[in-house]
Amino acid sequence: MSVAEPGPIGNAIERVSGGQAPGLLRRSLAVGRTRAGLMITVLVVAVAVVGPFVAPASETGFVGAPYTPDAAGTVFGTDYLGRDVWSRFLYGGVSVLALSGLCTVIGVGVGLLVALLAGYSRTWVDELLMRTTDVLLAFPAIVLALLFLAVFEPQPATVVATVAAGHAPRVARVMRAAVLDVAGRDYVRAAESMGLRRWPIRLGDLLPNVTGPLMVETGLRLTYSVALVAGLGFLGLSGLEADQADWGLMINENRLGFTVQPWAVLLPVIAIGLLTVGTNLVADGIARAAAGTDREVGG
Amino acid sequence: MHESERRLIAATLAAGERRSLTRRDVLRGLALGTGAVVAPSWLTACSASEPVGGTATEGSAGQPKRGGSLRMGAAGGGPSDSVDAHKPVTKPDIARVHQLYEPLLIRDNAFKLVPVVAESVEPNGDLTVWTARIREGITFHDGRPVRPEDVIASFLRITDPKDPKVGAQLLSFLDRNGMRKVDDRTVEFALERPSALFLDAISEYFQGIVPEDYNPEKPVGTGPFAFDSFDPGRQSVFSRNEEYWREGEPYVDELVIIDFTDDAARVNALISGQVEAIESLPYGQISVVEGDQNLTVLESKSGNWNPFTMRVDVEPFSDVRVRQALRLMVDRQELIEQVLVGHGSIGNDLYCPGDPCYNDSLPQREQDLEQAKSLLKAAGQEGLQVELVTSPVAQGIVEAAQVLAEQARGAGVDVKLRKVDTGVFYGDDYLSWPFAQDFWGTRSFLAQVAQGSLPTSPFNETHWADKDFVSLVESAEREGDEDKRCDLIQQAQEIEYDSGGHIIWGFVNLVDAYTKKISGLEPNVAGHALDRYGFRHAWFV
Repeated sequence: MSVAEPGPIGNAIERVSGGQAPGLLRRSLAVGRTRAGLMITVLVVAVAVVGPFVAPASETGFVGAPYTPDAAGTVFGTDYLGRDVWSRFLYGGVSVLALSGLCTVIGVGVGLLVALLAGYSRTWVDELLMRTTDVLLAFPAIVLALLFLAVFEPQPATVVATVAAGHAPRVARVMRAAVLDVAGRDYVRAAESMGLRRWPIRLGDLLPNVTGPLMVETGLRLTYSVALVAGLGFLGLSGLEADQADWGLMINENRLGFTVQPWAVLLPVIAIGLLTVGTNLVADGIARAAAGTDREVGG
Repeated sequence: MHESERRLIAATLAAGERRSLTRRDVLRGLALGTGAVVAPSWLTACSASEPVGGTATEGSAGQPKRGGSLRMGAAGGGPSDSVDAHKPVTKPDIARVHQLYEPLLIRDNAFKLVPVVAESVEPNGDLTVWTARIREGITFHDGRPVRPEDVIASFLRITDPKDPKVGAQLLSFLDRNGMRKVDDRTVEFALERPSALFLDAISEYFQGIVPEDYNPEKPVGTGPFAFDSFDPGRQSVFSRNEEYWREGEPYVDELVIIDFTDDAARVNALISGQVEAIESLPYGQISVVEGDQNLTVLESKSGNWNPFTMRVDVEPFSDVRVRQALRLMVDRQELIEQVLVGHGSIGNDLYCPGDPCYNDSLPQREQDLEQAKSLLKAAGQEGLQVELVTSPVAQGIVEAAQVLAEQARGAGVDVKLRKVDTGVFYGDDYLSWPFAQDFWGTRSFLAQVAQGSLPTSPFNETHWADKDFVSLVESAEREGDEDKRCDLIQQAQEIEYDSGGHIIWGFVNLVDAYTKKISGLEPNVAGHALDRYGFRHAWFV
């Protein structure tokens, strides 16, 4: 019988490292809210990406008197400086999307690395990393961001670094728990007993088995990134050129004329709102699908 | 930073306490002041040229009536606000000073000097000794008469070398030990050097006359309203001065000045009837107020200006052709339309359009992109790329920078905007930015030059030090004859017009609003809101 032992274990390793992600994506898409969220997200992303190419007026040119809702030749009137609101809106999404995307990738990437390192070391490394995260977690993300941006002159790179730095400890916390859970399973023990080194185990056995939580976490962090980046833009801290269009900044620039010319505020508000709702629905859908997966495996 | 804060720092500098403008000074200023614009008018008045209306008591809505409590919404203010006669910094401070105190003279709505606490102020032949006669029967709020000792004490307090007040720098030529009581109603002032600027220096609202034993905790002056209560950053209450020297004034029993740091809150307070009048109506809200039949917009021309400043001593602006090219690439009318929503008047790269000596023989400079390009080419600066440092230090500053950057593209110039925090803008690098912006109030030409266009000026952003210009200005200040002085001033202005470092595209109109329940406020050219806070001649209809 002992000869047959390696069989199931080997299968398990194969099955697991054979990639859980595509299956999870398929199952997530079967969830209604994922599909709805994906549609909304794709719509907003499309507006942001295609927008600059189809905008009727230039990003910085003047088309009429400031705050004129019915200026000739415009769809949504003019902003506080007399520029075309619709064109500014079409130009203004790229910065929000690009910055939040980058923040998410970097933040989640760093957090994941920390989690893999800490969750599967069971030494002082784990203690050191986790206590450091605890300290960082004590600061609310927005406060940390404002602190950084007050010290360094706001620039897109600083904003990305700041927001990502806010994400990393939170991602690390959640992912470490997931890693810890997987690290005790039999197939990991089996891999260990086969003499595999730690990093191959982390990447080959642990990582593929935490994709569920990872994707949920990514979706969630994307939502927060959008909100945070737009918020910093609103405060004028995104470090963009002063005349560059940006959804967050648009809200701030035009808020005083809201009673006269609401579109200059409403359009970016609607877009940012839809984007956060969309990404959140996707994250939620994946979470549900992943929960289903766990039950399957557990059962 | 506020205009008067800038003067306060200048006063400190003049007193020799500090050799350079430090960040700490400026940040302290920022903490105190949140407002923008506002400033004085002196000598021959640096204001827009159309004085409107005579005394407001003969306003449009019939005979003035007595009674009522008038509430005004002021812009800005904070916990460090004061009611000190000589240290107004924020807009609410300035509004309060106008109620409590009065200087010897003041500029009226037609920009003529009129006597207030004084009956007359006369110079001797060479402008070195000036004699002021105090108005008969004028009293402080506590009933005591104004004596020569009080006048002398007021000026000693303003020019105190240990604690110079806002108006100290203006009086730099005053001999502190040369003030003398001649008789019970006459004071003599001696100057250290002859100056035609004396009358303007004493006719500022922050040069008020206070009693010899003045205590800013329990402020007493000769103004139309007496002190009741003061809650810094929130509100202050004043009651009618029953013994006021102007017959019948003031008409209301009580005046309440309420601080609003938020623009939208201030407008809402007016619309909902929480206040009767507000200053600084944001441009975006003008149509809202105009659409309300219970409200009136009060718009006043002013000499307030927001220039672009090019340093004449660093590349690329040290080449006069580059400065000329940048001045030619500006479409001034478009700046007024987009930045001020049309609420301004056009500039010709010269300040003080209201000065009687203003040189209006120089042709209005228009946008000429071809000429600008060829000047840049001649200077070897084709495809010029420059960084413009901008900061939201006053309404419309950053907006003007954005419009300029857009206009510059037409001349093939790439203006990179660097938007910095106000603290950074007025920090260590203030006055050394090669290409930046600033804001200034309404002044006479000579007074403005003393503040910003001489090598000795505290705020010479452009590092302007033209020798011919300096000698013309020095002669003008010593010149007693007005025609000769104007001739010198016009020559000086021509030099700035041809080769100066300012791009002066326009002058800002002040836009305020009040309800139709009150009357008696008129447009005022002095560069101060709400008819120079003229509530003494306002009444409830």
